[in-house]
Amino acid sequence: MAGKSGRSINNVPESPIKHMIFSWEGILVLLFAAVNIFCAWFSEFYNVSSVLRQMPVYLAEVFLMLTMAFILVMGEIDISVGSIVCLAATISCIVCNAGAPFVIVVLVALLVGTVCGAVNGLILTRVPELPPMIVTLATQIIFRGIAEIILGSGGSVSLSNTAGFKAIAGKVGGQVPYILFLVLILGVIAAVILGKSTFGRKVYAIGTNRVTAHYSGIHVQKIRFIIYTVMGTISGLCALFIVSSSYGANTTTGEGFEMDAIAMAVFGGISSTGGKGNIAGGLIAAFIIVCLRIGLGQRNVHSQVILLIIGVLLVAAVALPNIIGQIQKAAKVKKS
Amino acid sequence: MSEYVLELKGITKIFPGVKALNNVQFQLKPGEVHALMGENGAGKSTFIKVITGVHKAEEGEMDLYGEKVDFKGPRDAQAAGIAAVYQHATSYPHLTVAENIFMGHEIVKHGMIQWNEMNKQAKELLQQLNSDFEATAEMGTLSVAQQQMVEIAKALSTNAKIIILDEPTASLTKRESEELYRIVDQLREKGVSIIFISHRFEDMYRLATRVTVFRDSQYIGTYDVDKITNADLIKAMVGREISDLYPKPKVKIGKEVLKVENFSRAGYYKNVSFSVRAGEIVGLTGLVGAGRTEVVESVCGVTHADEGKVYLDGKEVHINKPSDAMDLGIILLPEDRQKEGLIMSWGLGRNVTLPTMDKLAKNGFNDEPKEREVSRDLLESVDTKAVDIFQPASSLSGGNQQKVVVAKALGQEMKVVIMDEPTKGVDVGAKAEIYAIMGELAQKGYAIVLISSEMPEILGMSDRIVVMCNGRKTGELSREEATQEVILELSMEKSTKSGKGDKQ
Amino acid sequence: MEKKSLMKRITGSREALLAAILILMIVVVTIINPAFFTPKSFSNLIKNNAVTMVMALGMLCVMLVGGIDISITSTLAFSGMWIGMLIKYEYISGTILPFLLAILIGTCCGFIVGLVISRADVPPIIATMGFMYIYRAMAYLISNGGEWASAAALGTFKDFATSRFLGLNCVVWVVIICYVIFFFFMRWTRLGRKIYAVGSNPEAAEVSGINVRNIKLMVYTIMGCLAGLAGALQVAVYASAMPNMQKGGEMDVIAACVIGGVSMSGGRGTVVGALLGALILATIAKALPLIPFFDQLWLNTIKGVIILVVVVMNVILQRTADANALKRREM
Repeated sequence: MAGKSGRSINNVPESPIKHMIFSWEGILVLLFAAVNIFCAWFSEFYNVSSVLRQMPVYLAEVFLMLTMAFILVMGEIDISVGSIVCLAATISCIVCNAGAPFVIVVLVALLVGTVCGAVNGLILTRVPELPPMIVTLATQIIFRGIAEIILGSGGSVSLSNTAGFKAIAGKVGGQVPYILFLVLILGVIAAVILGKSTFGRKVYAIGTNRVTAHYSGIHVQKIRFIIYTVMGTISGLCALFIVSSSYGANTTTGEGFEMDAIAMAVFGGISSTGGKGNIAGGLIAAFIIVCLRIGLGQRNVHSQVILLIIGVLLVAAVALPNIIGQIQKAAKVKKS
Repeated sequence: MSEYVLELKGITKIFPGVKALNNVQFQLKPGEVHALMGENGAGKSTFIKVITGVHKAEEGEMDLYGEKVDFKGPRDAQAAGIAAVYQHATSYPHLTVAENIFMGHEIVKHGMIQWNEMNKQAKELLQQLNSDFEATAEMGTLSVAQQQMVEIAKALSTNAKIIILDEPTASLTKRESEELYRIVDQLREKGVSIIFISHRFEDMYRLATRVTVFRDSQYIGTYDVDKITNADLIKAMVGREISDLYPKPKVKIGKEVLKVENFSRAGYYKNVSFSVRAGEIVGLTGLVGAGRTEVVESVCGVTHADEGKVYLDGKEVHINKPSDAMDLGIILLPEDRQKEGLIMSWGLGRNVTLPTMDKLAKNGFNDEPKEREVSRDLLESVDTKAVDIFQPASSLSGGNQQKVVVAKALGQEMKVVIMDEPTKGVDVGAKAEIYAIMGELAQKGYAIVLISSEMPEILGMSDRIVVMCNGRKTGELSREEATQEVILELSMEKSTKSGKGDKQ
Repeated sequence: MEKKSLMKRITGSREALLAAILILMIVVVTIINPAFFTPKSFSNLIKNNAVTMVMALGMLCVMLVGGIDISITSTLAFSGMWIGMLIKYEYISGTILPFLLAILIGTCCGFIVGLVISRADVPPIIATMGFMYIYRAMAYLISNGGEWASAAALGTFKDFATSRFLGLNCVVWVVIICYVIFFFFMRWTRLGRKIYAVGSNPEAAEVSGINVRNIKLMVYTIMGCLAGLAGALQVAVYASAMPNMQKGGEMDVIAACVIGGVSMSGGRGTVVGALLGALILATIAKALPLIPFFDQLWLNTIKGVIILVVVVMNVILQRTADANALKRREM
């Protein structure tokens, strides 16, 4: 019954280049350049090799951002990841100290993370009425609580055998740390899944209009479960790299990581109300924050000052577009 | 002093992109019940909101008792003695009935809310309305009809001289409607002027003395109720003769495709059975709240029935989720386009391929060029008035949005298409186009279930009509048997019959 | 019949249920360890949890309008640090002035948060996360990079927490006064009821002429005000001011509200509920070391499990209530 009126609908997309330049990611790229120029000016030690050397500590949190992006795009939040990192780090240290081969240690860390994530996923999908914020608040307290019980009154554990962890903290050619490759590889994978796969499209659909997604045959609860579980797995991965730089774990390991991961993602243009943003933005934002931390840290600027800057960037990144939008809308109404 | 209590002239209200009201006028005489009629989307609700100060009109003037007024907000209107009972109950579900009634004009002494006094007065108001619930009950626990009572009590509590009722009977049973008529009569005797919005002619004949009709955001005319014929009124509302609207083609009806047997879900519907054959359009009608939508939602796996069976092509099928239904070839086009049917901020193309993207994908990755081809073809096949497939669904008019929803269903092999209120809020032109599409689908051998509250639509399009009332199927009529009166009869709860019917 | 409806009213009321649980807990622990429940220990319990209890009131208001505020302990640290440093360097002294100053600073902090949320439409979780970083960092900055104001430096200010008025500790008085004020404010004033209205149905509130944005601004300002007060209390009770005080404590405040039946989606929750939620949490923390097998290490796990059980139970109760209501519906 093709087009009675003979009307034809265009289906040729516009060139993406114009779109790219004026997007939030475009602004972030400029900001990234600006931050690097600033850091190089601010600190005489700021150069490629010093950045690469200092990077690993900060990069572990970028893993969390990658999966947090999926959760935020779904319009949800997971504030338990810092605690999952703590629990996974604690258990992997203990398993390592017990003499287990390093492969087992790695598997244990990932498994602990996965189980924690699956617990979140299970509760949230079985009782979908519950807000994720509350459930993950409870599990945040529980997972760290379990780590506290395991760690006992001392509250910390240090590695007795650091060989395996030293290996993953290694560098290609003595310069570029493995973790940077891993972040980039996982970043590309996450970006492709979120941006190009049907799974990613469904995540956006859920985050934009969950009811329509459900009516259109998308398995909303299944996708939520997968994402929360993978969030746990990635937290386990993050824990491994945290241990590889601190050679131990304590009750405060991973504290605030969830906030850092959310901050990176939101600063990267991923809306916490769902449906908007992409991994590329989140990654650029993460690297801006990492470079800023390294650059300012080299001149002994207090870490709290850096957090202050991140806080301001975060609020401004969300508030400014909204305010501009409001002004534009007001102007539009006046015009018509 | 003017002869009118309320007079509006030349009102124009613009929302970004649309003129919701275009130079409309209205006069209300003291102590009259004035019906305001028009199709969905004609601008009635917007007009009410202009009167009550929720929206500010860009042009035009409003006179109250002959004096020009300019409401800055809902408060001003309230202070001037205008109260509205909105179509969608604007209540606070977590608060008590008394608090809902007195919200905004609480009884306060020394800065303290006088709860006892408020509860007492609320109780008195509710008694006046013959209601059967406590003033201290939590609003959220009441039925829709009871909430409507509270809204009316709220209007009374402000000593309003003008009360606006926006579709008050839409979700009421016959008995409850009678109760409402009685209240309206009572109010009129007290000298209150009432503006009454309703789709039901019955309401209008029973209550109103004059009727004003809006169509397509414009004022069409004001008539005395006893001087205008039904046909003329419909013509004024619709803008053309009904018969042109329904291009129902002659279709050879095939074998039975979908059969629903003894469907029950506690609190929603009970023992509902019906079937659809290939090429057949079955109208499923009844009042809002009769359980029609709930039945088809369970058929399609959005919710689950407690009991009952679904047969497809004679074989029993188990549907747990919407994707199961789609895999089997049953698709539901939900009632609320904006909340259930479409992702409004997404482009049309992506909306159209939402249910089928897995089938179009290659190894789990979106095949975008193919999606663009498919979605364009589908959008063209339903004749969507769109420029390209990338424009957001929110940029289309209601009718064209509905066409996109239909296009979503056509992307895969379907046997049964269930359309829930497909023409709600759609302008007349687009309505005809949607009916044409429906007819073409039937010709192609689809089995179609059409849920609608609009009588002419049901009568014009259906081969067979299933009527529901209060969760039960009350009758099934062939196209020849069906008349407006019979359907209305079956849609209304009858106090004598329901007692016997329950025990069967 | 009468009896049944009374039973129903008690089981139907969340507050009554929570009170019963609290009393049961206190009774059980007192049997195990009679030293647990004495007037003095109860007064200490409140004193030590005054900060959480006071902030729970603000969180109640914020959650009632469907929001959340995780910046509160940063506001607490910021305002507490201000007065700590001002007293240390002898710019101010006494008791009243530091309290007023802390409240003023907190109010300003809350007002800014409220502006960002209500005017720039930033989601509450994101906005308050940003301000969590910002205010905490500002607390560090005014502390000259981590300097403490220790007991010795605080002079007579810290005496507030040990002095008594009419036989009750002054901190306990502050808590009681706050709760009494809020009890009246939330239940008996129009402004208080507007908070409920906005949380219950924002669109309806808008239609009935309530300025939703201003109410949102107000609740975050109230929250800031109470966080400021809590800052002063914190400095007085612990006789020290440091920039990282109560870090992470916002989760306890949210937990107290959630246990007390405050809904995260807005509209539901009472002052009494918040009080009981805070008391239950405090009692668990205090009672745990007294119970054999469990020790202090288990505290967080148990706390988390309780929150989870409470919220899941809520949903299950709601589901059964809905199902019963549906079954009763005539057809």
